[in-house]
Amino acid sequence: MKRYLALILVLSTVCTNLIGAEAGMPQLDPKYWASQAFWLILVFSILYLSISKFYLPKIKKNLDDRESKIKEDLDEANKLKNLSEKKLKEYEIILENSKKEVIKILLESKVTLNKDIQNKKTSMEKEIESEMLKAQKEISEVKKNSINSINNISQEIASNIIEKISGDKLNESSIKAVIEDISKKNIGKYL
Amino acid sequence: MQQFSVHKIGPEIKIAGIDLSFTNASLFMFISVGLILLFLFLGTREKKIIPDKIQLIAEMLYNFVAKMISDTAGSKAKPYFPFIFSLFMFVLLCNMVGMLPYSFTVTSHIIVTLIMALFIFIAVTVIGFYKHGFKYLSIFVPSGVPVVLLPLITIIEIISYLSRPVSLSVRLFANMMAGHTMLKVFGGFVISLGMLGGWLPLSFSVALTGLEILVAFLQAYVFAILTCIYLNDALNLHH
Repeated sequence: MKRYLALILVLSTVCTNLIGAEAGMPQLDPKYWASQAFWLILVFSILYLSISKFYLPKIKKNLDDRESKIKEDLDEANKLKNLSEKKLKEYEIILENSKKEVIKILLESKVTLNKDIQNKKTSMEKEIESEMLKAQKEISEVKKNSINSINNISQEIASNIIEKISGDKLNESSIKAVIEDISKKNIGKYL
Repeated sequence: MQQFSVHKIGPEIKIAGIDLSFTNASLFMFISVGLILLFLFLGTREKKIIPDKIQLIAEMLYNFVAKMISDTAGSKAKPYFPFIFSLFMFVLLCNMVGMLPYSFTVTSHIIVTLIMALFIFIAVTVIGFYKHGFKYLSIFVPSGVPVVLLPLITIIEIISYLSRPVSLSVRLFANMMAGHTMLKVFGGFVISLGMLGGWLPLSFSVALTGLEILVAFLQAYVFAILTCIYLNDALNLHH
């Protein structure tokens, strides 16, 4: 088995040497194959180790951090949104309540105002009525007085006229009786 | 073909009779890895919630490779993520550094790609046998095949499995070498045709450079995704 492997290796080396020389392809010249393999493995190991141990975890951590930060921020935003919605609802309720209160106050004040107005009106009316009654009384009194004074004046005038015409003084009481009689007859016209 | 030649830099290093001298190939391996590490260092230096450009690129590469692995090999392949990421970055940077004039393309050497492919092949086979024991051999016997065809199919499957390292390594190596050779050929045409006719190959050269950059990325991607697919075969026995 080992012999075969060695044979194949030698054969392939010879072949590649021939072909490489013929085609002028430096790739097929095995002179630096071992060196290239060695340095490739070394360099790639360095790359692999630094990437897997250092850089990829860093990038991954950063990406995860960003994702969690975005998530946190979104959660926070949602929370704030809910809060603001709640506040808005509260505010609306307050607004509605205050509106109701305003309507209530308006109604109450209307009722009290109406009552007040009514009260004032009735009291005013009463006063006016009493004033009117008083005035009527006064007027009727004045009328009565005026009738009396008219009677007196007419008695005087009548006695004066009679005196002037006849030259005699007539009995005052008779004149008075006549005038009273007449005025009683006609008093219905003035009172 | 001078651009592919390997030459020694510094003293000859011999260990147990094997020549392990530091060469320009080794130098460019170090340059590529240095660039990767520098890039990752800059990309992870500051942990920002809102990333800056280089951090964003590093995170995009991380997500790109992570998605590639989870899409092709599922969640079981998570422990191999650093390896796939390193592999992808290494091949990508080697290809890209090789696009610079006067540089050396590490991946244009069959020995380099073959070692990587062989390592992947052996590792995948070991993982497959470790996870499934001898049941892993059932990947050579696909289900739902008529009994008459079964021996033939099994032989084909075994051959295709064994040719994996060859196809994986030759694909990358041949692509890189062919691209660079083509660029060189067109560059040579520019010189030989001179001021009068040289403009056409020059414009071709420019276009091909763009194409080669695409190929450089694409081959790195293909290399990584094929590794994922092989890993998937070993981790999730479908047959």
